Amino acid sequence: MPTFKHYPSRHHSWRDDARAWLFLAPALVVLLLFAFWPVGLGALLAFTEVNIFDLTASRWVGLANFQALWDDPTFITSVVNTLLYLLVVPLIQLAALALAVLVNAQLPAMKLFRTAFFVPVVTSVSVVGIMWGWMYNEDGMLNQLLAWLRLIDAPIGWLSDERIALFAVMFVTFWRGLGYYMVLYIAGLQALPQEVEEAAMLDGANRWQRFWRITVPMLRPTLLLCTLLSTLAAMKAFEEVVVMTGGGPIGSTYTLAFYAYDQGFRAFDFSRALAASAVVSLIGFVLAWINFRFFRTEGR
Amino acid sequence: MKHSTIALLIGALFASGAAQAEKTRIEFWTMSMKPRFEAYFQNIEKTYEAQNPNVDIVWTDLPWDVIRAKFTAAVAAGQPPALANLNVQWAYDYAQTGAIVPIDALLGADRGVYMPGALADVTWGGKTYAFPWYNSADVMAVNGALFKKAGLDPKQPIANLSAQLKVAKTIRQKAGVAGLAPRLGRVESIFLGEGLPVLENGKAVFNSPRHVALLREFANAYKAGALLKDNLFAEDNFQVSIAAYNGGRLAMLETTPPAIGRVRDDAKDIYAQTVMLPVPPGATGVVKGGWLMDFVVPRGVDAKLLPEVGKFARFLTNDANQLAFSKDTGGTYPSTRKAALDPYFQQLPADAGPLEQARAIGAKNLTNVRTLAILGIDDPAPLTKRLREETEAAVTGRKDAKAALDAAVAFWNAQLKK
Amino acid sequence: MHLVRKLLLSWAPRYSLLLLVALFTTFPFLWTLSTALGDAGNIYAFPPQLWPEAPTLKHIDEARQTIPLDRFFWNSVLISGATVAGTLVLASLAGYALSVLRFRGQRLVFLAVLATLILPSELNIIVNFITLTMLKLTNTHTGVVLPLLANAFGIFLLKQAFDEIPAEIFDAARIDGASEWQLFWRVALPLAGPALAALAIFTLVATWNAYIWPAVVLQSPDQYPLAVGVLYLSGTFAAKTRVIAAGTGLTILPVLILFLLAQRYFMRGLDGAVK
Repeated sequence: MPTFKHYPSRHHSWRDDARAWLFLAPALVVLLLFAFWPVGLGALLAFTEVNIFDLTASRWVGLANFQALWDDPTFITSVVNTLLYLLVVPLIQLAALALAVLVNAQLPAMKLFRTAFFVPVVTSVSVVGIMWGWMYNEDGMLNQLLAWLRLIDAPIGWLSDERIALFAVMFVTFWRGLGYYMVLYIAGLQALPQEVEEAAMLDGANRWQRFWRITVPMLRPTLLLCTLLSTLAAMKAFEEVVVMTGGGPIGSTYTLAFYAYDQGFRAFDFSRALAASAVVSLIGFVLAWINFRFFRTEGR
Repeated sequence: MKHSTIALLIGALFASGAAQAEKTRIEFWTMSMKPRFEAYFQNIEKTYEAQNPNVDIVWTDLPWDVIRAKFTAAVAAGQPPALANLNVQWAYDYAQTGAIVPIDALLGADRGVYMPGALADVTWGGKTYAFPWYNSADVMAVNGALFKKAGLDPKQPIANLSAQLKVAKTIRQKAGVAGLAPRLGRVESIFLGEGLPVLENGKAVFNSPRHVALLREFANAYKAGALLKDNLFAEDNFQVSIAAYNGGRLAMLETTPPAIGRVRDDAKDIYAQTVMLPVPPGATGVVKGGWLMDFVVPRGVDAKLLPEVGKFARFLTNDANQLAFSKDTGGTYPSTRKAALDPYFQQLPADAGPLEQARAIGAKNLTNVRTLAILGIDDPAPLTKRLREETEAAVTGRKDAKAALDAAVAFWNAQLKK
Repeated sequence: MHLVRKLLLSWAPRYSLLLLVALFTTFPFLWTLSTALGDAGNIYAFPPQLWPEAPTLKHIDEARQTIPLDRFFWNSVLISGATVAGTLVLASLAGYALSVLRFRGQRLVFLAVLATLILPSELNIIVNFITLTMLKLTNTHTGVVLPLLANAFGIFLLKQAFDEIPAEIFDAARIDGASEWQLFWRVALPLAGPALAALAIFTLVATWNAYIWPAVVLQSPDQYPLAVGVLYLSGTFAAKTRVIAAGTGLTILPVLILFLLAQRYFMRGLDGAVK
């Protein structure tokens, strides 16, 4: 799966090893202590009845926590919602790439547009919750706009109707992520050698053809990176749920990551929370693998 | 583990001088009290430290968004505060997992200082887990003009839910609008308010003949058009209810006293006709609309410290301090008996409007105010959803009340067994 | 004249589309600003007022008097600055090792880094807090920053960026006798400028806005960053929409300005041509 490009041709010695590990050491120490250790411990504890006050006193229960998940209808809802959440990925990628192409040009005011599109990324999630709460309110902006356009007669309960709320929350995720991926795509577009495109222009390819036949294939690494990141982000989506619906109405906006968070910090059931986290990881690995397969760069 | 060596090394680097003098340090957490109550709590701190020179009080206020994550982490790491402000639901959850300890011994003789309803809210399995603090209570706003149009006396308090539903029907017949907007999306709270159990020994029991009869009463009122139909079965119908009341489309509105301010601000004409009444009490005298806040003692607080912690907690929630706090908020009630009797709540100026009357009426009713939440369910969402659907079917007459409640109880018990 | 018309015609669709999207992305923010600066009229009025009626700075003043905004701001600068600097150092060193160097266990390390990118981390709070307690780092800014440096995304991003650098450049420098450190410092880092800038801005945004973790680690509100501090504006019984809007608007602005200024680092000199 991973490719390593800059191998010096000579054979590596213990000195090479030592030097490399020296470069790696600071990052690895921090990763070990604050990423691997909690996640590894968590994965182990997912098979126990967790005693949060004395972790060493946790009792081994095998697969019981996973059985409990399977029997919990809210967990099933969470899985379904998390899969639905993946719908955001292609939409956000297409939109972000289109935006990046539009603003990646030598035209006036592009800097301002890029900044404008980045605004939602900068906005903290608690602010996002407040703002979109105002927007989605029954007598909020969105309903007033739709009523003014004569599209609706009665206000829509964007966050209070259990058939709509999840999509309303997903839309906020889309809104928040657009500028983020736009920046990565701009960076990707900037890295493309211009000669190729110029050559194609001489060949008489039109703009559309040049984009699909030349730009997009060459953007593959960026596409992989962005799709992978947004797939993982969609799979781990929970902040929006926390600040906008808290899982409601009647449990219709639970996502897997929110479920894990909620079980841990509300219901105080860390056994179940960690088991749910383990499920998130598992799905994450599968999705990451699919991503790599899908965007596998040829010739490497 | 390697932690200990690293801890020693880094600990040596970061250790912060000598420990504080031998004062007893009591840290207490409150929820979202800053900035408005900063002076109040600084005063508490100063007064108590002056009376108890051996104690160092440390007040930390946390935004409610973060208090649970922080509390959990602090208890898990063995660094809890001495006292923390939680609501009833959260206190219950923490009590179930052993994160907070019973405080019966710390209450001692002062138990009698608090309202019985408030103590009952934080007593589970015979043990009391929190010092009651500030509370809320419902009152009822009545549209006097609509009542008169229906030939009813708006100043006459209503004795119980049955009488209230009868009034609602009369209003519909004579005045042509809905009488009442019960929160049927939370029918379990209505059951509790009427003294009817929802759970007993971990099993759902809300299909007794009395439960069924109550639901039938609602169905009859619905058929007669006496109930406000907007969002009647939604989780929360408060927004539409107050809008309907302000629009003259609803005759009785049950709400907390401060919300009457919205009638005053948004609908002057209706406010002028509004008469305030107590909410009709439940069958066992329970008053609706409680939302108790309290102080808990986390697990892991040094046992030697506990007597001092108890003493401070009793001070923090005593009559004088609770009364002062209610005056500061202007919208909450104390949970101690004497404070509620204070003239502040009862002596009204001559020109008192419904808003001021509301506060007085709520205060008279405090003894049996209860926080009517269903506790002890791991995963309440699917259960309340099912009960809501069955309630809607029963009240709208699509299904018999008995069959509906039986189905809901069966679903609950199947879920709860897991 | 003809040229201008032609230009307008070809630009018009692009610009109207961009304007529409810009309105969509900035609308809640503009509304916040307008709410914060306005003092008259209904906040929820429709059509919305994006230009405040009777503009005033008094809500900003009130926010500043209500909470120690300056102090929260400097705490944010300190925490975010340390996190950005630390992340850039750690991620570029590790990314360099994974991309340019060759060593035993390389594949394993890379897969492990990739794995942390995938694993959910919301529940790490508890274990990390326990670890910090053992390290005696709770209630310190160091304690907030350290776990934030565990940034697999940064390592991944910079490895990719170093991969883009043609191998010949490194080979040439090696032949000239440059040490590995010089290769890293003089060759690799300058060429990875855009990626470093992107990583810096993303790390900044994430740290600047984090509120649960800092609130868990820090005991005393004196040490809180802005994202936690502004939550105090919406205290019980005291929420004032316009003041909250002022506080939140002030939180967003610094990062936005920084983004505007930092753009040239990730554009390949394009902006110089157009002004």
